[in-house]
Amino acid sequence: MDLDSDVQMEDAIEQQDVSETVAITNPTEEDEDEDDAGMSNSLSVKQTITSTIVGDDDSDEKGVISRKPIEQVPISTTNPKTQIDTLDAWIEQLSQCKPLSEDSVKELCDMAIDVLKDEENVQPVNVPVTICGDIHGQFHDLMELFKIGGPCPDTNYLFMGDYVDRGYYSVETVSYLVAMKVRYPKRITILRGNHESRQITQVYGFYDECFRKYGSANVWKMFTDLFDYFPITALVDNSIFCLHGGLSPMIETIDQVRELNRFQEVPHEGPMCDLLWSDPDDRGGWGISPRGAGFTFGQDISEQFNHTNGLSLTARAHQLVMEGYSWSHPDLVVTIFSAPNYCYRCGNQAAIMEVDENHNRDFLQYDPSIRPGEPTVTRKTPDYFL
Amino acid sequence: MTKFLQPVKRLHTEEDLKKFQVSLTHHAVMDFIQRLANSVHGLELTDKTLPVNDRIQSILDILEEVDKISESHPIRLDTTSRFGKVEFRDFFDELSARATSLLHNHIHLDYDTGNDFTVELSTYLINSFGDRERIDYGSGHELNFLCFLYILDHLGYFESSEYDKSVVLKIFARYIQTMRGLQLKYWLEPAGSHGVWGLDDYHFLPFLFGAAQLSPFTRPRPLSIHNKDYVTEFKDKYFYFACINFINETKIGTTSLRQSSPMLDDISGVKTWKKIEEGMLKMYDAEVLSKLPVVQHFLFGAILPCPEGVPEHYDDEVDEDGCNHEVHSSWGDCCGIKVPSAVAASAMEHKKHHVPFD
Repeated sequence: MDLDSDVQMEDAIEQQDVSETVAITNPTEEDEDEDDAGMSNSLSVKQTITSTIVGDDDSDEKGVISRKPIEQVPISTTNPKTQIDTLDAWIEQLSQCKPLSEDSVKELCDMAIDVLKDEENVQPVNVPVTICGDIHGQFHDLMELFKIGGPCPDTNYLFMGDYVDRGYYSVETVSYLVAMKVRYPKRITILRGNHESRQITQVYGFYDECFRKYGSANVWKMFTDLFDYFPITALVDNSIFCLHGGLSPMIETIDQVRELNRFQEVPHEGPMCDLLWSDPDDRGGWGISPRGAGFTFGQDISEQFNHTNGLSLTARAHQLVMEGYSWSHPDLVVTIFSAPNYCYRCGNQAAIMEVDENHNRDFLQYDPSIRPGEPTVTRKTPDYFL
Repeated sequence: MTKFLQPVKRLHTEEDLKKFQVSLTHHAVMDFIQRLANSVHGLELTDKTLPVNDRIQSILDILEEVDKISESHPIRLDTTSRFGKVEFRDFFDELSARATSLLHNHIHLDYDTGNDFTVELSTYLINSFGDRERIDYGSGHELNFLCFLYILDHLGYFESSEYDKSVVLKIFARYIQTMRGLQLKYWLEPAGSHGVWGLDDYHFLPFLFGAAQLSPFTRPRPLSIHNKDYVTEFKDKYFYFACINFINETKIGTTSLRQSSPMLDDISGVKTWKKIEEGMLKMYDAEVLSKLPVVQHFLFGAILPCPEGVPEHYDDEVDEDGCNHEVHSSWGDCCGIKVPSAVAASAMEHKKHHVPFD
């Protein structure tokens, strides 16, 4: 990991104060919290800074976005211990569904790029692993998922995309998963879904949410730039091919996936698009997708693909299935969907698929977690109504 | 006399959208909405004095017929893992097949033979109830029904603006009733849904007209939407509360609008309904009529003409996704072009391409 401070070890603490002050965007009030979590390493002293904007409860004041105080754990030395402590502090904060400060998101995304850029288009994953589908900002259900499946890093996880959009907590969800990825890069794999895209997030909520929670699109920009680095598929023990959407008429072999240039916005056509957009279908062959991107593919296509590539199974997400998982073709493709009661209206169960050392598969289904009380975000009049 | 045209989609790029935003058609739609909103200030849905002449009644009868078509296509056993119920397509097909005759039977306007006014009306009507393929519904479909009403108004069907309030509180209300039935029965997915971050899963105009109804009043206050007793008391009288009630009844797993509808929660902090009505008009213009994912489906005919300078594009039936995938068997004719991320966003704007759903 390459962190952006070259502060000398012995001067680090002293200089930390200075760099923090500079790092925070427009603070008008800073509170030093006593939360140093008793770290033994003197370099790991963490200061939690509550950044608030004066007058943020005055919703009529144009141009002033009310934010809930976002706690900031400053970072940066190149000392790995400090990085780990910082990540642990971020993870702890996020696990309470509290979003990181904008500056911390920037740090996190920079660290994540370093980790993700070296992963492969077809990221190899070992068994045992627990494979998960769409989350869509349902943060509390993600926490439930880790309760059901076992905590990470004790359990290895593979997520097949669609962390953002639609739900209330996309920011917290994607921040948490990315932080876990940076903290435990060998224990968790996060693939790209069709919603990890600039265009789609502007239509389906993540953009609105970032703007609402941070008062600007900066955090949206950081994350959508980061999404270009996410791997697009994974291969579990050379046997289970995992991806968000499905197959592409332009991809016959997994090696062809390896040749793609994935470091780009999700294109609206072509193989990379299809991998993130396609759906299995009862009809054979390739069909035009009603989604307007990707294709539908029939059992014959799945048979050919699994056979050509020596696969036992293609695991994908992308579609709501009422039981949380659903078989297709008839057992060559499995759909996994991990957002229970999707959008507060679908009444579906969620599921994850455990694959053990012997490739035994077990589906764990779960229902929505109990929601905490009301959001603490201050009511903010949308500009149209000022 | 107007020569009617088969309405078609024309807006494909951000450039097209810009031309639309300053077009007469855009202004005509916004003016029509504003006029309808003004007509219902202070009026309740249950108002007994709302004028209903034969012509208003005929439109109500058409919606009754639409309900009957739906009744003839019940949900059979679960036949698919897809979310939307496929029987919606049977409903849609029958409606499409019968739309012209329905309109001829109920709407009597004098026009030359060979210039059938139902050419335009039927297209807007058919597309008012959702998307056949996607089994979804959103504010774009709602907009088609508004255009249907606009065409009737333009043709002088409603005779006098005296009937505007009935167009909203009788006809539009009846349309919402039909839509609620279809949404619940066929599990229509919200089209282009912003999830919790949108105004609503399905509708926009009932919030706008609802705020207009309440505009002269100080009570109930906008914050009253959080109080279930108020919602129950006012849901039959005001669109706005009816919509809140629908959310309360259909959103499961949350008892708080703050969780499920943060936008409505934010709006509830606005002091007056008048402000909300004004804001809804601005928001409709910005979030519906100025968003390509919505108005790429806007249908232009003779009465709501396509703005000048928007280029002709080939037929939508072939290129729902901007690309005829028949050619994919030969790989690479139009696909597989790598789009560097830095230019992807602008490339989206230049290329004729529909924003895919979900």
